[in-house]
Amino acid sequence: MKYFAPKSLEELKDLFLSNHDLNILAGGTDVLPRWQDNPSLKLDVLVDIKKIPELIGIKESETDIKIGALTTVQDLKKSDIIKKHFSSIYEATCQFAGVQIRHRATIAGNICNASPAGDLLPGLYVHNAVIQISGLKGERVVPIHQFITGVGKTILESDEIVVGIVIPKSSIKSLFYKLGLRQSMAISVVNFAIAYEIDENNNWKSLQIAAGSVAPTVIYLKTFTDALFSGSDVDESIQLVDDEISPIDDIRATASYRSKVIKNVLMHIIKEIYVR
Amino acid sequence: MIQFQLNGKQVSANVRPGTTLLDFLRDKGYFSVKYGSDKGETGADTILVDGNMMNASLMLIHTVSGKNIETVESFAHGQDVHPLQDSFIEEGAIQCGYCTPGMVLAIESLAREKDNPNESDVKDVLAGVYCRCTGYVKPVKAAMNYLATGEPK
Ligand SMILES: Cc1cc2nc3c(=O)[nH]c(=O)nc-3n(C[C@H](O)[C@H](O)[C@H](O)COP(=O)(O)OP(=O)(O)OC[C@H]3O[C@@H](n4cnc5c(N)ncnc54)[C@H](O)[C@@H]3O)c2cc1C
Ligand code: FES
Repeated sequence: MKYFAPKSLEELKDLFLSNHDLNILAGGTDVLPRWQDNPSLKLDVLVDIKKIPELIGIKESETDIKIGALTTVQDLKKSDIIKKHFSSIYEATCQFAGVQIRHRATIAGNICNASPAGDLLPGLYVHNAVIQISGLKGERVVPIHQFITGVGKTILESDEIVVGIVIPKSSIKSLFYKLGLRQSMAISVVNFAIAYEIDENNNWKSLQIAAGSVAPTVIYLKTFTDALFSGSDVDESIQLVDDEISPIDDIRATASYRSKVIKNVLMHIIKEIYVR
Repeated sequence: MIQFQLNGKQVSANVRPGTTLLDFLRDKGYFSVKYGSDKGETGADTILVDGNMMNASLMLIHTVSGKNIETVESFAHGQDVHPLQDSFIEEGAIQCGYCTPGMVLAIESLAREKDNPNESDVKDVLAGVYCRCTGYVKPVKAAMNYLATGEPK
């Protein structure tokens, strides 16, 4: 195995030019366990991007917040900016693994790993996060729901990396819910984020829900929210969720449990928000 | 050649890429850092990197160059143990002891990071250290005693 640790994006691009099939390493909390399961994945060329300063830091502008790719879950948890503007993301960091993993796990790693259970993802979806990509062919920006295309799949080309995530600021409130098999150190059986605004007449001004672990990618529950938005009753419209999700059985839960539990909890939380 | 600080001493390592920090440390006789699983679920492999808790089994040695690594080997000098370790002994918070080094590092990093941490802070840092024996009640007590006074009760 060859190991490189470029110190700038320029140096990284030189590596892309001179090597094929680079394996990007950030915190390594997904990559290293994957090797343990399948040592043949310990591939030839490993590129540690943690020494690239352009990928570090959380910056606030008038309209949005830019989060560097290497920002760890712990950095997010400690950031007053994140807590103030994106509660759902803050809440996800509090329920993410244990402190050791939070110190290593990066936001871009969570996104690029593209697990349907990734805990940072629902909050990023409901806040309409945009992924900034840089590669040999230049730069591009893509909304997160177009960036992730399947289980472990993204649109990233082999000579591209994620450099940052941009989230527009707004007055929208949000929350995150995670059901794990225990309180800490658990992979989500179901998770979701809700972003909403309610006007002075107690009507929805906006409403977006993104759910994880109920389909190959995190999905927006659009039919359900459209129904609520047009004034339908929660108890009735909750059934629409079944048409949108496609949960599977796995070691953590059965599909039918996931379907039941997401509807029950969603209904409960939506009613709570609405009364507030 | 990779260079870093280990328990206050400068170390150089000449190891092949792909070696984990856990393998390196155990190879060098730092047996307080334990193998629990390959995937960081157990926290038996907890170490401090620049004061932050991390899992040694999930870190490649090549990624720690220039960092400051601490293990509990630096906490005790022979029979002369650190007040936090003493607090664990006084409270009877150790049974098999496999998880204890990780717990001690977790509590010490919390003590350094936060003024007046409370019980839920303690539970948060201990969540990533599996203990199959104690049921956590005594370790939490030992931690609270130490955090309140800097000494065992
Ligand atoms: C014990 C344990 C508990 C966990 N608990 C949780 C949990 O509660 N919730 C949760 O969501 N996840 C959890 N995870 C999974 C993991 O920690 C997260 O997915 C984490 O965010 C991955 O980030 P990383 O920096 O470690 O990624 P890495 O392992 O370094 O990389 C992951 C993937 O992304 C690619 N990649 C990383 N950064 C970039 C970039 N900038 N550009 C392009 N590609 C990139 C890598 O090539 C690799 O394919 C857990 C893992 C462990 C081991
Ligand atoms: S004392 Fe045995 S695992 Fe904790």
